[in-house]
Amino acid sequence: MGTDLGIGIDVGSTTTKAVLIDSSGAILAKSLMQTGASAVQAVDKVLGEISSMSGINLENIPAVSTGYGRARVELPHRTVTEITCHSVGVHRLNPDIRLLIDVGGQDAKVIRIGPSGRPDDFELNDKCSAGTGRFLEVMARVLEVSIDELGLLALKSTSPSSISSTCTVFAESEVIGRIGAGDSPADIAAGLHASMTSKIVALSKRVSFAEPVCVTGGVALNPAFRHYLSKQLGTELWIPDIPQLTGALGAAVIALQGLG
Amino acid sequence: MNGDRPSEEKPYRRLETQTLLQQIAFTGGLEALEASENGNLAWVTSGFPVEIPIAMNVGVVYPEQAGAIIGAQKIGPEVCSYAEDLGYSQELCSYARASIGSTEKPDEVPMGALPTPQILLACNNICGTVLRWYDAIAEMTGATVFLLDTPPIEAEQLPHHQEYVRKGVQRLIQFLEDKFSKPLQDERLAEVADLSSKAIGLWTRSLEACQKKPSPLNCADRFLTMAPVVSSRGTEQCVDFYETLLAEVDDRVSEGLGAVRDEKIRLLWDNIPMWYTLRFFNLLASRGVVFPADTYTHAWSGSIEGVDTSSIIDGIVEIYSNVYLNKGLDAKVDKMCQLIKDYDLDGFIMFSVRSCKRYSLGQMVSKELVTERTGVPGVIIEGDMVDSRVYNEAQIETRVDALLEMLM
Repeated sequence: MGTDLGIGIDVGSTTTKAVLIDSSGAILAKSLMQTGASAVQAVDKVLGEISSMSGINLENIPAVSTGYGRARVELPHRTVTEITCHSVGVHRLNPDIRLLIDVGGQDAKVIRIGPSGRPDDFELNDKCSAGTGRFLEVMARVLEVSIDELGLLALKSTSPSSISSTCTVFAESEVIGRIGAGDSPADIAAGLHASMTSKIVALSKRVSFAEPVCVTGGVALNPAFRHYLSKQLGTELWIPDIPQLTGALGAAVIALQGLG
Repeated sequence: MNGDRPSEEKPYRRLETQTLLQQIAFTGGLEALEASENGNLAWVTSGFPVEIPIAMNVGVVYPEQAGAIIGAQKIGPEVCSYAEDLGYSQELCSYARASIGSTEKPDEVPMGALPTPQILLACNNICGTVLRWYDAIAEMTGATVFLLDTPPIEAEQLPHHQEYVRKGVQRLIQFLEDKFSKPLQDERLAEVADLSSKAIGLWTRSLEACQKKPSPLNCADRFLTMAPVVSSRGTEQCVDFYETLLAEVDDRVSEGLGAVRDEKIRLLWDNIPMWYTLRFFNLLASRGVVFPADTYTHAWSGSIEGVDTSSIIDGIVEIYSNVYLNKGLDAKVDKMCQLIKDYDLDGFIMFSVRSCKRYSLGQMVSKELVTERTGVPGVIIEGDMVDSRVYNEAQIETRVDALLEMLM
């Protein structure tokens, strides 16, 4: 045992993910949990979980780690950036995809995927929370709804509020202004999604646009985000079943292939 | 004996010539101090036609170089904060902030504060900030500012612009003659211009030797050894230094020795480096990455042709108007594409320097154009040359690693 299995670990700013795959690329076990204060502990937990789910001892299985906490993984492994891993992961699920938009908790990336599944070009937004999951988390708190409810709320809007700022801090002030002006929470939520999406669209224009487009990361689960992104980009979006796992999947594929 | 192991194990080779820099810096420091005491020290911008003050025996020092030293000592944020305390914005050029900060509190900056100037010679061919910066220093020190205005060049320099810059150079000569009550001697100017051209010629040969594989010099080598061509071109000492450097470079080439022991990937560097972490280049060296060319050190490569004062002035107008930063985006893109082709480079890294707008503006567009024209990928990383507060190592690592993964 060893060469016919691969482990991928993605230590993100918000969640840590692990995937165990077999030589056909089928996922044998997967785990996702909050990274919290200790990346090392989060990694231990997700690995423990995939080991018990699959009933497989993970020792001697090649592993690749990715994400901002990739260097924190204690298991013998190689590190590959999330840019390459997401690209490879998405390519495994749908080889037609040429543009990948990944929106995570604290960053957003746009990657143009080449025919081989490797990135051709990429742009990151990581110095600012505009256009990331963090933006929506802050706004959900202001509107007193959970992050899961925020997107559904926005889709009920009949007349979206105009939120001009993409900056988390300034948009928060704007939202408070809209509340004061009597806008409904649904309209405000819709305005927020439109504003946040415009930031992602601007980022995606910095790499030459290509189709079909795939969206991954936790924010891809948000239906209002998908709605506004699809509308603003003017294209259909392809979303994997578990969009948070593509980085870890790509890492596992690379581990299995022994590429780096 | 295992005494020689550590240096053998390093992934990069240390340049012997580098040790001469300390001596040059030390002598230069003493000369500047003496000039200041004698009442004839000029602070000059890096793109100033320094041949003229040197020909008139005016001492010269470079605040930008002092800024680089402050950065390299990792005291950039502290020294910049002295200027910020005076009300200067964090968005202001960090060379300017370091300069204003160290002028405000010279005792706190033993290795970066420059001796008091009598005159401040600014040329806006590198940016417009220099004038306001030197105005601020003038207010603090009482020195007089002279501005040589070089209108930016979009394609070719217009004849009336050429004439305008020529008048500016003549005004400079007049200014120095009046200030120090002595005339510019034609013979001396010819001698200085010749020494300057020699130094630049030698420097250019060292740069061009990096077209060889493996490249004999890496980025950090050039950033350090460029110091004399910036600060003391026009002197014998400068020519001597570049003769020594070229000899070492030629030796490396003939022995097939690279700056990086195991050269695998060749990249272009765009912009001023992050002086506080030149280690960045050494870390990449351990992965076989070398930077045979960069846009910054190639900026000092124009040599003055001319035999008499009039033709030398023509040469000065030509060279100092056409510096890299005084030209439009097209010229920058052309230069980068040319370097990628001539040096056979696999990709490029553009450093977006937060406080140097003149150099960094347009990088997003030029990145796309350079890739389109050369077919090689590139990446933009963000930070600053002196102010390490805006440098995020983890984010830069991800971008650079992703670029390398695209190339490997």
